[in-house]
Amino acid sequence: MKNDPKRRFPPLYEKLIPIGLGILILGIVILLGVIVAVLAGVFPAAH
Amino acid sequence: MKLLTLLPFLSSILSFVFAFLILKRYSVKRGLHELLWGIGMVFYGIGGLCEALYGILGWHPLIFRLWYLFGAVLVAAWLGQGTVYLLVKRKTAHILMILLAAASIYGAVRVFTAQLDPTLMTSSLHTGSELSGHAIVTPGVRTITPFFNLYGTLTLVGGAVWSAVLFWRKRVLLHRVLGNVLIAAGAILPAFGGTFSRMGIPAALYICELLGAVLIFLGYLRAITPMKNEAVAPAVN
Repeated sequence: MKNDPKRRFPPLYEKLIPIGLGILILGIVILLGVIVAVLAGVFPAAH
Repeated sequence: MKLLTLLPFLSSILSFVFAFLILKRYSVKRGLHELLWGIGMVFYGIGGLCEALYGILGWHPLIFRLWYLFGAVLVAAWLGQGTVYLLVKRKTAHILMILLAAASIYGAVRVFTAQLDPTLMTSSLHTGSELSGHAIVTPGVRTITPFFNLYGTLTLVGGAVWSAVLFWRKRVLLHRVLGNVLIAAGAILPAFGGTFSRMGIPAALYICELLGAVLIFLGYLRAITPMKNEAVAPAVN
Protein backbone atom coordinates (compact mmCIF):
# COMPACT_ATOMS: atom_id res chain seq x y z
CA MET A 1 0.00 0.00 0.00
CA LYS A 2 1.92 3.03 -1.24
CA ASN A 3 1.10 6.65 -1.88
CA ASP A 4 0.88 7.57 -5.50
CA PRO A 5 3.15 10.66 -5.70
CA LYS A 6 1.74 11.64 -9.09
CA ARG A 7 -1.81 12.19 -7.87
CA ARG A 8 -3.35 14.75 -5.55
CA PHE A 9 -6.88 15.47 -4.37
CA PRO A 10 -8.05 19.11 -4.15
CA PRO A 11 -6.00 21.02 -1.51
CA LEU A 12 -8.80 21.28 1.08
CA TYR A 13 -9.28 17.52 1.12
CA GLU A 14 -5.53 16.94 1.18
CA LYS A 15 -5.45 18.83 4.49
CA LEU A 16 -8.69 17.73 6.14
CA ILE A 17 -8.86 13.99 5.38
CA PRO A 18 -5.66 13.00 7.26
CA ILE A 19 -6.88 14.99 10.29
CA GLY A 20 -10.26 13.22 10.16
CA LEU A 21 -8.66 9.81 9.77
CA GLY A 22 -6.27 10.52 12.64
CA ILE A 23 -9.15 11.50 14.95
CA LEU A 24 -11.08 8.38 13.95
CA ILE A 25 -8.13 6.06 14.53
CA LEU A 26 -7.59 7.67 17.95
CA GLY A 27 -11.30 7.17 18.66
CA ILE A 28 -11.12 3.50 17.68
CA VAL A 29 -8.10 2.94 19.94
CA ILE A 30 -9.86 4.60 22.90
CA LEU A 31 -13.09 2.70 22.26
CA LEU A 32 -11.36 -0.66 21.92
CA GLY A 33 -9.46 0.12 25.11
CA VAL A 34 -12.73 0.77 26.95
CA ILE A 35 -14.35 -2.41 25.57
CA VAL A 36 -11.34 -4.55 26.47
CA ALA A 37 -11.24 -2.96 29.94
CA VAL A 38 -14.93 -3.80 30.43
CA LEU A 39 -14.27 -7.40 29.33
CA ALA A 40 -11.29 -7.57 31.70
CA GLY A 41 -13.50 -6.47 34.58
CA VAL A 42 -11.81 -3.10 35.15
CA PHE A 43 -15.30 -1.55 35.43
CA PRO A 44 -17.30 -4.00 37.56
CA ALA A 45 -20.42 -1.80 37.42
CA ALA A 46 -20.59 -2.35 33.67
CA HIS A 47 -21.44 -6.03 34.16
CA MET B 1 -42.80 15.79 23.24
CA LYS B 2 -39.86 15.56 25.68
CA LEU B 3 -36.31 15.79 24.34
CA LEU B 4 -35.54 12.27 25.59
CA THR B 5 -38.46 10.99 23.52
CA LEU B 6 -38.03 13.20 20.47
CA LEU B 7 -34.33 12.44 19.88
CA PRO B 8 -34.65 8.64 19.67
CA PHE B 9 -37.89 9.01 17.72
CA LEU B 10 -36.03 11.05 15.08
CA SER B 11 -33.17 8.52 15.08
CA SER B 12 -35.69 5.76 14.55
CA ILE B 13 -37.48 7.43 11.61
CA LEU B 14 -34.16 8.27 9.94
CA SER B 15 -32.89 4.71 10.45
CA PHE B 16 -36.01 3.12 8.97
CA VAL B 17 -35.94 5.46 5.96
CA PHE B 18 -32.26 4.66 5.49
CA ALA B 19 -32.94 0.93 5.84
CA PHE B 20 -35.68 1.16 3.21
CA LEU B 21 -33.34 2.92 0.75
CA ILE B 22 -30.53 0.41 1.30
CA LEU B 23 -32.82 -2.62 1.01
CA LYS B 24 -34.38 -1.12 -2.13
CA ARG B 25 -30.90 -0.82 -3.60
CA TYR B 26 -30.18 -4.39 -2.49
CA SER B 27 -33.28 -5.60 -4.36
CA VAL B 28 -31.69 -4.25 -7.57
CA LYS B 29 -27.96 -4.84 -7.04
CA ARG B 30 -28.15 -7.94 -4.80
CA GLY B 31 -25.02 -7.05 -2.83
CA LEU B 32 -24.99 -8.96 0.45
CA HIS B 33 -23.24 -6.06 2.17
CA GLU B 34 -26.28 -3.90 1.49
CA LEU B 35 -28.64 -6.56 2.78
CA LEU B 36 -26.68 -6.70 6.06
CA TRP B 37 -26.49 -2.89 6.29
CA GLY B 38 -30.24 -2.73 5.68
CA ILE B 39 -30.91 -5.25 8.44
CA GLY B 40 -28.48 -3.38 10.71
CA MET B 41 -30.32 -0.10 10.15
CA VAL B 42 -33.64 -1.82 10.93
CA PHE B 43 -32.04 -2.86 14.26
CA TYR B 44 -30.88 0.75 14.74
CA GLY B 45 -34.45 1.90 14.12
CA ILE B 46 -35.92 -0.64 16.56
CA GLY B 47 -33.46 0.54 19.24
CA GLY B 48 -34.47 4.17 18.75
CA LEU B 49 -38.17 3.32 18.63
CA CYS B 50 -37.94 1.44 21.94
CA GLU B 51 -36.16 4.40 23.54
CA ALA B 52 -38.95 6.72 22.32
CA LEU B 53 -41.64 4.31 23.55
CA TYR B 54 -39.93 4.18 26.94
CA GLY B 55 -40.17 7.98 27.02
CA ILE B 56 -43.89 7.86 26.20
CA LEU B 57 -45.12 4.73 27.97
CA GLY B 58 -42.54 4.22 30.70
CA TRP B 59 -41.13 0.86 31.72
CA HIS B 60 -42.27 -2.26 29.90
CA PRO B 61 -40.25 -5.51 29.90
CA LEU B 62 -40.83 -6.22 26.19
CA ILE B 63 -39.73 -2.71 25.17
CA PHE B 64 -36.64 -3.08 27.33
CA ARG B 65 -35.73 -6.52 25.95
CA LEU B 66 -36.18 -5.40 22.33
CA TRP B 67 -34.11 -2.28 23.01
CA TYR B 68 -31.31 -4.20 24.69
CA LEU B 69 -31.16 -6.96 22.08
CA PHE B 70 -31.36 -4.83 18.92
CA GLY B 71 -30.10 -1.45 20.15
CA ALA B 72 -27.32 -2.47 22.53
CA VAL B 73 -26.20 -5.96 21.47
CA LEU B 74 -26.76 -6.60 17.77
CA VAL B 75 -26.81 -3.36 15.80
CA ALA B 76 -23.08 -2.61 15.46
CA ALA B 77 -22.12 -6.22 14.77
CA TRP B 78 -24.72 -6.66 12.01
CA LEU B 79 -23.80 -3.36 10.36
CA GLY B 80 -20.16 -4.40 10.62
CA GLN B 81 -20.94 -7.75 9.03
CA GLY B 82 -22.08 -5.83 5.94
CA THR B 83 -18.65 -4.22 5.75
CA VAL B 84 -17.05 -7.65 6.21
CA TYR B 85 -18.78 -8.78 3.01
CA LEU B 86 -17.11 -5.87 1.21
CA LEU B 87 -13.61 -6.36 2.56
CA VAL B 88 -12.87 -10.07 2.94
CA LYS B 89 -13.23 -13.18 0.80
CA ARG B 90 -16.80 -14.34 0.44
CA LYS B 91 -16.13 -17.72 2.06
CA THR B 92 -14.59 -16.06 5.13
CA ALA B 93 -17.51 -13.62 5.29
CA HIS B 94 -19.99 -16.53 5.14
CA ILE B 95 -18.24 -18.29 8.04
CA LEU B 96 -18.28 -15.09 10.13
CA MET B 97 -21.94 -14.61 9.19
CA ILE B 98 -22.82 -18.09 10.48
CA LEU B 99 -20.96 -17.39 13.74
CA LEU B 100 -22.68 -14.01 14.11
CA ALA B 101 -26.12 -15.52 13.44
CA ALA B 102 -25.53 -18.27 16.01
CA ALA B 103 -24.22 -15.77 18.57
CA SER B 104 -27.21 -13.51 17.88
CA ILE B 105 -29.67 -16.36 18.54
CA TYR B 106 -27.82 -17.14 21.77
CA GLY B 107 -27.93 -13.46 22.72
CA ALA B 108 -31.66 -13.26 21.97
CA VAL B 109 -32.38 -16.27 24.19
CA ARG B 110 -30.29 -14.80 27.05
CA VAL B 111 -31.92 -11.35 26.78
CA PHE B 112 -35.47 -12.71 26.57
CA THR B 113 -35.02 -15.07 29.50
CA ALA B 114 -33.16 -12.60 31.74
CA GLN B 115 -34.64 -11.44 35.00
CA LEU B 116 -35.22 -7.67 35.03
CA ASP B 117 -35.49 -5.02 37.72
CA PRO B 118 -36.14 -1.47 36.41
CA THR B 119 -35.27 0.12 39.75
CA LEU B 120 -31.64 -0.82 39.11
CA MET B 121 -31.53 1.73 36.27
CA THR B 122 -31.47 4.48 38.89
CA SER B 123 -28.85 2.85 41.05
CA SER B 124 -25.82 4.25 39.22
CA LEU B 125 -25.09 7.65 37.71
CA HIS B 126 -28.07 6.98 35.47
CA THR B 127 -31.19 8.82 36.51
CA GLY B 128 -33.50 6.27 34.95
CA SER B 129 -34.63 8.83 32.34
CA GLU B 130 -32.85 6.75 29.69
CA LEU B 131 -32.88 3.00 29.21
CA SER B 132 -29.87 1.25 30.70
CA GLY B 133 -28.63 -2.32 30.78
CA HIS B 134 -28.34 -2.04 34.55
CA ALA B 135 -31.96 -3.28 34.70
CA ILE B 136 -30.75 -6.81 33.85
CA VAL B 137 -30.43 -8.88 37.02
CA THR B 138 -29.37 -12.26 35.60
CA PRO B 139 -25.56 -12.57 35.73
CA GLY B 140 -23.67 -13.01 32.48
CA VAL B 141 -26.23 -11.46 30.14
CA ARG B 142 -24.55 -8.07 29.96
CA THR B 143 -21.17 -9.76 29.61
CA ILE B 144 -21.98 -10.84 26.06
CA THR B 145 -22.57 -7.26 24.86
CA PRO B 146 -18.91 -6.11 24.70
CA PHE B 147 -18.06 -9.10 22.49
CA PHE B 148 -20.65 -8.04 19.92
CA ASN B 149 -19.54 -4.42 20.19
CA LEU B 150 -15.88 -5.36 19.84
CA TYR B 151 -16.70 -7.16 16.59
CA GLY B 152 -18.92 -4.28 15.49
CA THR B 153 -16.28 -1.64 16.21
CA LEU B 154 -13.51 -3.54 14.47
CA THR B 155 -15.56 -4.33 11.38
CA LEU B 156 -17.83 -1.31 10.95
CA VAL B 157 -15.61 1.54 12.14
CA GLY B 158 -12.31 -0.18 11.42
CA GLY B 159 -13.54 -1.35 8.01
CA ALA B 160 -14.69 2.13 7.01
CA VAL B 161 -11.40 3.70 8.12
CA TRP B 162 -9.44 0.96 6.36
CA SER B 163 -11.34 1.56 3.09
CA ALA B 164 -10.88 5.32 3.39
CA VAL B 165 -7.13 4.93 3.96
CA LEU B 166 -6.80 2.59 0.96
CA PHE B 167 -8.56 5.00 -1.42
CA TRP B 168 -6.76 7.96 0.14
CA ARG B 169 -3.30 6.53 -0.37
CA LYS B 170 -4.05 5.72 -4.00
CA ARG B 171 -5.76 9.11 -4.41
CA VAL B 172 -8.78 7.53 -6.09
CA LEU B 173 -12.54 7.73 -5.52
CA LEU B 174 -12.63 10.82 -3.30
CA HIS B 175 -16.37 10.35 -2.74
CA ARG B 176 -15.68 6.97 -1.14
CA VAL B 177 -12.91 8.38 1.03
CA LEU B 178 -15.29 11.05 2.34
CA GLY B 179 -18.20 8.62 2.60
CA ASN B 180 -16.19 6.15 4.64
CA VAL B 181 -14.88 8.88 6.96
CA LEU B 182 -18.48 9.98 7.63
CA ILE B 183 -19.67 6.37 8.13
CA ALA B 184 -16.82 5.67 10.58
CA ALA B 185 -17.54 8.88 12.51
CA GLY B 186 -21.26 8.09 12.63
CA ALA B 187 -20.64 4.52 13.74
CA ILE B 188 -18.30 5.46 16.56
CA LEU B 189 -20.54 8.20 18.00
CA PRO B 190 -23.20 6.00 19.69
CA ALA B 191 -20.45 4.03 21.44
CA PHE B 192 -19.03 7.23 22.90
CA GLY B 193 -22.57 8.37 23.68
CA GLY B 194 -23.02 5.25 25.77
CA THR B 195 -19.81 6.01 27.65
CA PHE B 196 -20.86 9.63 28.29
CA SER B 197 -24.26 8.39 29.42
CA ARG B 198 -22.62 6.11 31.98
CA MET B 199 -20.79 9.18 33.26
CA GLY B 200 -24.18 10.72 34.00
CA ILE B 201 -24.35 13.23 31.12
CA PRO B 202 -28.07 13.60 30.32
CA ALA B 203 -29.28 12.66 26.82
CA ALA B 204 -25.69 11.99 25.67
CA LEU B 205 -26.57 8.56 24.30
CA TYR B 206 -29.65 9.74 22.42
CA ILE B 207 -27.91 12.80 20.93
CA CYS B 208 -24.97 10.68 19.77
CA GLU B 209 -27.32 8.04 18.33
CA LEU B 210 -29.15 10.69 16.29
CA LEU B 211 -25.93 12.29 15.08
CA GLY B 212 -24.57 8.83 14.33
CA ALA B 213 -27.58 7.91 12.19
CA VAL B 214 -27.33 11.23 10.31
CA LEU B 215 -23.60 10.80 9.63
CA ILE B 216 -23.92 7.15 8.55
CA PHE B 217 -26.79 8.12 6.23
CA LEU B 218 -24.83 11.04 4.72
CA GLY B 219 -21.71 8.89 4.47
CA TYR B 220 -23.55 6.16 2.60
CA LEU B 221 -25.09 8.66 0.17
CA ARG B 222 -21.67 10.29 -0.34
CA ALA B 223 -19.99 6.92 -0.91
CA ILE B 224 -22.43 5.83 -3.64
CA THR B 225 -22.50 9.22 -5.42
CA PRO B 226 -19.41 10.20 -7.42
CA MET B 227 -18.40 13.86 -7.16
CA LYS B 228 -18.19 16.17 -10.15
CA ASN B 229 -14.84 17.74 -9.24
CA GLU B 230 -12.99 14.87 -7.62
CA ALA B 231 -10.55 14.42 -10.49
CA VAL B 232 -7.05 14.23 -9.12
CA ALA B 233 -4.32 16.64 -10.20
CA PRO B 234 -0.66 15.77 -10.73
CA ALA B 235 1.64 16.71 -7.88
CA VAL B 236 3.45 20.01 -8.49
CA ASN B 237 6.81 19.02 -7.05
